[in-house]
Amino acid sequence: MPSRDLTRIPGARLVLHAAAALVVWGLLLWGTQALDPLMNYYLALVAMYATAMFGMTILVGLSGQVSLGNGALMAVGAYVFATVTLNWATVPFTGIAMNGWWAMGLAAVGGVVVGLVIGVLGARLRGPYLAGLTLGVAVGVPAIASRFPELLGGETGLQLTVPYPAGGYAAQEAVADETFVDELPTEQVIEDAPVDELPVDQLSVDQLPVDGAGADDLLTLDDFSSDDVLTLDDFSSEGDSGALTEQPVDELPVDQLTLDGAGADDLLTLDDFSSDDVLTLDDFSSEGDSGALDDVPVEGVPLDDVPLDELPVDASGALPDTGLDGGLDGGFLGLDPDFVLERWQAGLAVTVACLVGFLALNLVRGRSGRQWRAVRDDTVAAAVSGISPARSKVSAFVVSCLFAALAGAVFAQILAYVGPGAFGLGLSLSLLVGVVLGGRSSLLGAVIGAVLLVWLPEFVLRLAGDRGWEDQITNNAPNLIYGLLVVLVVLAAPGGLVGSLQGLVARVRRRP
Amino acid sequence: MRFVDYLLGGVGSGLIIALMALALVLTWRATRVVNFAQVGQAMFTTFIALSLQTLTGSWFIALVGAMIAGALLGTVVQFLVLRPVARADTSGAIIATFGVLIALQAAAGMIWGGDSQAYPQPFGNTAITLFGRDWPVSAYDLIVVGFAVVLVVGLTLLFTRTDLGLAMRATAFNPEVARLSGVRVGRTLTVGWALAGTVGAVAGVLVAPTSAISPNSFDILLVFAFTAAVIGGLDSLVGAVALGIGTGLVLSVVSGFSDSGNAPVVALVLLALNLLLKPEGIFGHHKARSV
Amino acid sequence: MLSISSLTVDYGPVRALSHVSLEVPRREVTAVIGANGAGKSTLLRTVAGLVRPHSGSIHVDGVDITGRRAEDIVRARVALVPEGRSTIPELTVEENLRLGGMWRPRAARAATLAQVFELFPVLGDRRAMRADTLSGGERQQLAIGRALMCDPECLMLDEPSLGLAPLVVTQILEMVRTLAEESNLAVLLVEQNAVTALRVAHTGIVLNLGSVVMSGAAADVAAREELRHAYLGY
Repeated sequence: MPSRDLTRIPGARLVLHAAAALVVWGLLLWGTQALDPLMNYYLALVAMYATAMFGMTILVGLSGQVSLGNGALMAVGAYVFATVTLNWATVPFTGIAMNGWWAMGLAAVGGVVVGLVIGVLGARLRGPYLAGLTLGVAVGVPAIASRFPELLGGETGLQLTVPYPAGGYAAQEAVADETFVDELPTEQVIEDAPVDELPVDQLSVDQLPVDGAGADDLLTLDDFSSDDVLTLDDFSSEGDSGALTEQPVDELPVDQLTLDGAGADDLLTLDDFSSDDVLTLDDFSSEGDSGALDDVPVEGVPLDDVPLDELPVDASGALPDTGLDGGLDGGFLGLDPDFVLERWQAGLAVTVACLVGFLALNLVRGRSGRQWRAVRDDTVAAAVSGISPARSKVSAFVVSCLFAALAGAVFAQILAYVGPGAFGLGLSLSLLVGVVLGGRSSLLGAVIGAVLLVWLPEFVLRLAGDRGWEDQITNNAPNLIYGLLVVLVVLAAPGGLVGSLQGLVARVRRRP
Repeated sequence: MRFVDYLLGGVGSGLIIALMALALVLTWRATRVVNFAQVGQAMFTTFIALSLQTLTGSWFIALVGAMIAGALLGTVVQFLVLRPVARADTSGAIIATFGVLIALQAAAGMIWGGDSQAYPQPFGNTAITLFGRDWPVSAYDLIVVGFAVVLVVGLTLLFTRTDLGLAMRATAFNPEVARLSGVRVGRTLTVGWALAGTVGAVAGVLVAPTSAISPNSFDILLVFAFTAAVIGGLDSLVGAVALGIGTGLVLSVVSGFSDSGNAPVVALVLLALNLLLKPEGIFGHHKARSV
Repeated sequence: MLSISSLTVDYGPVRALSHVSLEVPRREVTAVIGANGAGKSTLLRTVAGLVRPHSGSIHVDGVDITGRRAEDIVRARVALVPEGRSTIPELTVEENLRLGGMWRPRAARAATLAQVFELFPVLGDRRAMRADTLSGGERQQLAIGRALMCDPECLMLDEPSLGLAPLVVTQILEMVRTLAEESNLAVLLVEQNAVTALRVAHTGIVLNLGSVVMSGAAADVAAREELRHAYLGY
């Protein structure tokens, strides 16, 4: 094969990998234009999970160390990102203004430092000891975070002001016009609907001059899906929307509530909630189907938990030019009015995932990958070949922590929130599930696992909607399936989905 | 005096940690697998006990039911999940136990719901008054002590005085020699898991009234029990019990002087220190560090 | 007593034993000798049920035990003393012995235990000590004692001389021969140490690369100089 010969040229593999990563990156970014906000949101989640699971592939698959700490390391990344963006105006020692990339860089540094500490402590331990230690880390790190209410927000966590870039990532105007404007329920009257069923968006929609304003204003609907509270504040301070100000305030911020109240104590519930949000909001804005609101578990959410005035919109002081008086014309957060939040989230997550994927690809196929595999398969043989098993295991640990921290920083930006509930044991377990199902020692398996983690809960939710399952069944079904699948995969197909497919291909090829 | 009170207050929870650690040690000794699903099994059997309690109104019937269910669950998990895992695939065995944990928690959520439920307090939970002062020990704590002592003594006798115990120990140390001596190794391993399931079930029923029970409520107990089992040496029944009590005492003192939210962090620090300084544990002689 | 016919064993693509046939009569020591990798240990482990044969059959007194599990074969009264560390160091001497033959009635086990202590007095003296406090020769006696606790009719020994001083080896092998002759045992002895093995054995069988290349009276085998050069390397 020519490609194999190519890799013999020094540096050729690097170029090949870089080219591959660039192509994937370009394709995905181009794809975000075509996707609707919901799909972009899913894409962002998949890319975020994949980023973390590249690290799991290296740690669990190649280096043979079962770790539950990667969710906690995501928490480290997320908290570093959050505290840095909230508290530092400039990058230390340089005076450069803080932005998202710098904050992610610092999150990566934090991940490496913590990874080194845990790695040196734990990476030399045999399987069950390491798994237990990292289990402690997975439970302990969120507990530590909730110990510091001032800096880290305690149990409630931190609402994050994500340093969005100005402009960019606009939805194509044509798409916006077609999908949103035509189907918008312009004639719908708010007063008809009972208050607790009111879709937040529709309220805003009605306030807006739908026909006159065109795409600019409509696009802010997307912003609602994650910035309700902000927009609501805007509205109420403008004081021009009677309907809004009359509403009981604590019932409004659906998203904020789901983020806070839902937590992620159970595996993946966070996803369910946050994607619910988007789903419902999208449904409303594009289909105007107010009946669908009943399906949304708004009632289940402890509405009163989050008093509106405690939300850090104003408290953080990071929104000087949000323009309470500027209102909608100035855009939110100083963003371009064409800004589609989900597209930006997808773009960010995909970019980080491709970068990390490129790194991982080089590590896995290079000398490090060989060393990790050698130590995993036969520690003694590796040691007598001049590989330091301890160093190899610690390096795998640190690399996976770096990736996890980056994924955590991305996750924090997707959620615009960091809290102990969202980064608990459930997240660590779901990373393990994903990497095992996809294929323990394959980077492609990590991507497949990430897709599974995002897709299965949605699939179950849809199924539950069709079949009319009770919430109690629906909410637990994904985890039951994950648990059983993990056991099944370990017993019947230790290579996961990718391993099984490779085996199948090999068997077909062997046959003449 | 407050210090002494906190210490005494930790005895009950320490013994429960000790029992759960004992369950972990039993499976470890039997199959060289740390069963991370152990607390999941205990959670499940405790829910069964709660249902039985509601049905019959008898705390004792509920306990016996949980013990039987625990033995069955341990048997099933070992037979269906752990036995077929390839012996060389140590990562696979660990991952499989986590898979069982996830599935059990989800199943419990489906059957009993995700909310915390109170478990009835079978005996008085008021402080015992003696020598003119209230002691931070209740009648219920004494029941816990009684159960723990009976279980530990029973297990010790089983392991040291019976053929089954000898077979279990031999199988743990060298399964091949055990087989060549005529021990039915597969059956012995399953018995070990059934025993662990029973002990875990008792721990679950005993801990449930002091906290509440929900699919995830025992997660933290797993961390404490693992800490105790590892520091105790993972191989040693005595170590698991001693360190379980010790962990309970330390956590009680820490929680008393600061805040119960610090307990997981303290457990983590203890575990980390132990793994750094004496990874094979205090009572153990098993190699914990591979490189 | 023990009758092996056309036994073939594969380790994956590698053939470890190829159509090996041999008889182990009662009251005799049958020594299987050969170089490293000749398949000697595989032969014993297959008979004991630790390795599954590809084809061929193993009979004990006419009963087919081919492919049975190790726990069942020892109940068919074929016991193996495996190579190397075949005692459990964490258990006491007596516990190591009690491990053997747990399925037997309590009284019968107690009687055998007394016999073992009679045969190996040093084990009786140290019955309460952990096995890892014993010397190499004592540990080998313990391993043989454990096998005897299973009340075997056929005793298989895998390299009992390994790591032991020559004097101790001779003692142990002499004891094994006495055991065979006086206790009506069939003994199958595998040894790399051909000279010593052939000295105590009645019959000698030379294994090379998984096949029997010669069998006959032990003295005859020992006398065949060209065999020694070709297969045993001395």
